[in-house]
Amino acid sequence: MKTVAHTDEQWLTVRKENVIRMPLGLLGFEEIKQYVLLSSPEDDPFLWLQMLDDPNHSFLVISPFVLEADYSPELSDDDVSFLGLESPDDALIINIVTLHGGAGTTVNLKGPIVLNRHTMVAKQVIPMNAAQFSLRHPVPLSA
Amino acid sequence: MLILSRKINECIVIDGRIIVKVVRVEGDIVKLGIEAPLNVPVHRQEIYEEIQRSNKEALTQGRPQLPKVPRINPAPPKKEAPKTE
Repeated sequence: MKTVAHTDEQWLTVRKENVIRMPLGLLGFEEIKQYVLLSSPEDDPFLWLQMLDDPNHSFLVISPFVLEADYSPELSDDDVSFLGLESPDDALIINIVTLHGGAGTTVNLKGPIVLNRHTMVAKQVIPMNAAQFSLRHPVPLSA
Repeated sequence: MLILSRKINECIVIDGRIIVKVVRVEGDIVKLGIEAPLNVPVHRQEIYEEIQRSNKEALTQGRPQLPKVPRINPAPPKKEAPKTE
């Protein structure tokens, strides 16, 4: 089965196996359970986590390791089993970016999204060591 | 909701494995010590609300212009497309 999603500029065909399922949704968006992750060379290193059923609404996300090479959120056993992770390599971690207009850009390191890249099931987790991460970690910008 | 009265240094045990101890009371602040197995997440309630608010603020319509970000890790060299003769 194929589903069609689009952005302003383009139509994309999203294969069913590329749909990210978030059974619990994102915090504050619990009812939205399906997303697609879109990338384009001009947006690199950012990616778009786009609502499957509402292509006009997305979250800007980024791999945290682009910003903090030693970022290491510790997942609870419950989250590991919820996501069916058998090894750290199964997990893809992305973090939500907020554009504050003229006031800069920040990334939420406190509540990462962890995706099982084999099953495409994802969850926004609060790591065991969340207290050491910032909700609004500044994203350094090139001049 | 179960409401219990505790004095300083008294504890509550939850599920036989989680111990909540009243460590100190300073004015209207109560300091609690929590002993829980390593696999039990313990978070302030505010953290859920903070992340919820942050997500709502981050929701984006359409495709705004993105800032340029310097990379810490150099991007891996791009693979050349295979040449076709």
